[in-house]
Amino acid sequence: MKQKNDRYHSLIWLTVILATAGTVSSQEPSLFEASYEPPRTAFGHPDLQGVWSNAMLTPLERPREFAGQAFLTEEQAAAYQAQRRQETFRGDRTVDVETDVSHAYNDFWWDWGTELVKTRRTSLIIDPSDGRIPPLTPEAQARRDARLARRAEHPADGPEDRLLRERCIVWDGNNDAGAGPPMMPSAYNNNFRIVQTEDYVLLLKEMVHETRIVPLDGRPHLPGSVRQWLGSSRARWEDDALVIETTNLTNKTNYQGASENMHLTERFTRVADDILLYEFTVDDPAAFTRPWTAQIPTVRLDGLIYEFACHETNRGMMGLLSGARAEEAAAREVASE
Amino acid sequence: MRRLFCIALIAVLAALWGLPASSQALADEIPRTADGTPRLDGIWQALTEANWDVRPHGTGHALLPELGAFTAIKPGLGIVDGDELPYQEWALARQQENFANRLDLDPEGKCFMPGVPRATYMPHPFQILQTPDLVMIAYQYANAVRTIYMNDPGPAPNYSWMGWSVGHWEGDTLVVDVSDQNDQTWFDRAGNFHSEALHVVERYTPLSPNHILYEATIEDPNVFTRPWTISLPLYRRVEDNIELMEFKCVELVEEKIYGHLRKQTDETEE
Amino acid sequence: MRTITRALVGQIVLFVTLTAGAHHSFLAEFDPDQPIQLRGTLTKIELINPHSWFHIDVVTESGAVETWAIEAGTPNTLFRKGINKNTLPVGIEIIVDGYRARNGTTTASGRDITFPDGRQLYLEGSAPPIPE
Repeated sequence: MKQKNDRYHSLIWLTVILATAGTVSSQEPSLFEASYEPPRTAFGHPDLQGVWSNAMLTPLERPREFAGQAFLTEEQAAAYQAQRRQETFRGDRTVDVETDVSHAYNDFWWDWGTELVKTRRTSLIIDPSDGRIPPLTPEAQARRDARLARRAEHPADGPEDRLLRERCIVWDGNNDAGAGPPMMPSAYNNNFRIVQTEDYVLLLKEMVHETRIVPLDGRPHLPGSVRQWLGSSRARWEDDALVIETTNLTNKTNYQGASENMHLTERFTRVADDILLYEFTVDDPAAFTRPWTAQIPTVRLDGLIYEFACHETNRGMMGLLSGARAEEAAAREVASE
Repeated sequence: MRRLFCIALIAVLAALWGLPASSQALADEIPRTADGTPRLDGIWQALTEANWDVRPHGTGHALLPELGAFTAIKPGLGIVDGDELPYQEWALARQQENFANRLDLDPEGKCFMPGVPRATYMPHPFQILQTPDLVMIAYQYANAVRTIYMNDPGPAPNYSWMGWSVGHWEGDTLVVDVSDQNDQTWFDRAGNFHSEALHVVERYTPLSPNHILYEATIEDPNVFTRPWTISLPLYRRVEDNIELMEFKCVELVEEKIYGHLRKQTDETEE
Repeated sequence: MRTITRALVGQIVLFVTLTAGAHHSFLAEFDPDQPIQLRGTLTKIELINPHSWFHIDVVTESGAVETWAIEAGTPNTLFRKGINKNTLPVGIEIIVDGYRARNGTTTASGRDITFPDGRQLYLEGSAPPIPE
């Protein structure tokens, strides 16, 4: 999939500068404010509206092989993308069954994107500088161990044993990656829409039609006694950046191991006509030994958000539970022979 | 009282100067954009009992006897123009069957998205965000959401639960054409239903800064003998710091839907 | 350089597969030890989330007709590639490669969907040809 030339060239200078940057910092405002002036809404705010995609191949955490290397070289990036395209457009039957099974749908349906982030970073995490999630606190590690142990012992007694996305509640990552906010890329429909009015920003994430309507009027967060799957979000403008702070999460989403006291700060900055820089900082001393920040340059999608009614037609859960019961029945039959 | 005084004063002055009276004054207070279009932004809620039954109806038992007066059917005047739904004969029988089996069949009980117009008169608030290109309506119930395209988005790629909505302004009225809803939603808890041919035209007309007249024409040649209309007021939720709260109800219905597939633990087993 | 790139590929592919939405639930619902290939007539496509369903009528060796339900991907991706309820190729014959469901029904997860002549369904014109 070829990217448009104008989009590519508009970022050449950006990637060159970032590629030669020595240290990684969580904000590089001087890099972005110099050359681009975003269009504005009728209320004078930067116009971030439209449909954006965060489909990309770059992992959240820097792979161990790249310890110390914050950016791929151009050759490495080109080689990786070519290899990935080769693999994902089918025909590669040399992979083992597990990998094959995990690619188990015709790639027509996967929409990870065919590109690494345009900055060629080796991870979405930009702080700490090793590109990896900081160590969990002992209590967070214990909670994670308990969750994984529970899941291993009770893989499918009932729907509550399954992942949140299998239950169609919120879209979480695999294993114990947990669910956002923040808005992370997944296997497909990596799209969200932003709509702005004078007093509100609406974020509509395609997966499970997650909608957050965030007030700009400076009101306090919900009282602490009210916990929500998507938390309680409040927005403000900081110069040309939209900043959203979220608290009041539950102990059910565990984003990358976070607790219900996670304080999430998201920043949205339009740095080019078709690039919305999305950054988020996870601050949760109960779970992580230090805050950490990830950056995703989301790309404008020339298309619409379509309804993703998940729970209404969740045959997978029926199949999954009935499959488990069928296997148990078969095992009981064998045992009684 | 101060408001009534102001209205009375305006009315007196208007009478003295031969100007139209209070309704004009209220209409002038409707928030508007720079080009004079009414602003429907805000959090709104219906106060009818139409979600029980869109037709006029009396009080009735709750679905389960142990619920007693909790969730008993509340009486309502109805929202249907002419009170009756013009069902085809087969469809009336089907509605009665739906009603008899509503504990199992009502999609609301399963936390399914309610479709249009039911989403409008669910007992939950909803929020309108209005821009020139899009009007978004987010419903507290089940985190349901609609995008109303103010410019032609082309045909719907699929049937959906909340439909495909295209809007335009006619004077002070937002007119929304809703097509391609699937046949899985009901109009209410009484089993009033429709097919995939359902076509709804909504009209949102602000009557004052704090209420909107909502009207909808419902057409479904597979089910009804003619189109029919509903109307009800929508009231602005005026509390300080009002916001939509989260009503993600999937968790609440998992036992209802999947309970029969749960692993049975035999107490005599190790 | 090449070694590092391959390692990165392996790591990122591993990352991708570990975070792939279907991996965990796929194994719970379908059996990788029961691969299956079916050839049948596409009778119906349900464009629903999180998985669309392709229904095919398969003529077995005995001549009986079996109806199989094939789980496929999200229809939203299909819409963005121009496939929607108005353009579905119902009535054609397709070959499905996939894995049987664990619950013993005539259900499978569709890994590849191809025409008998080898062309892949829906990928014509929007993707490079399948490598030999």
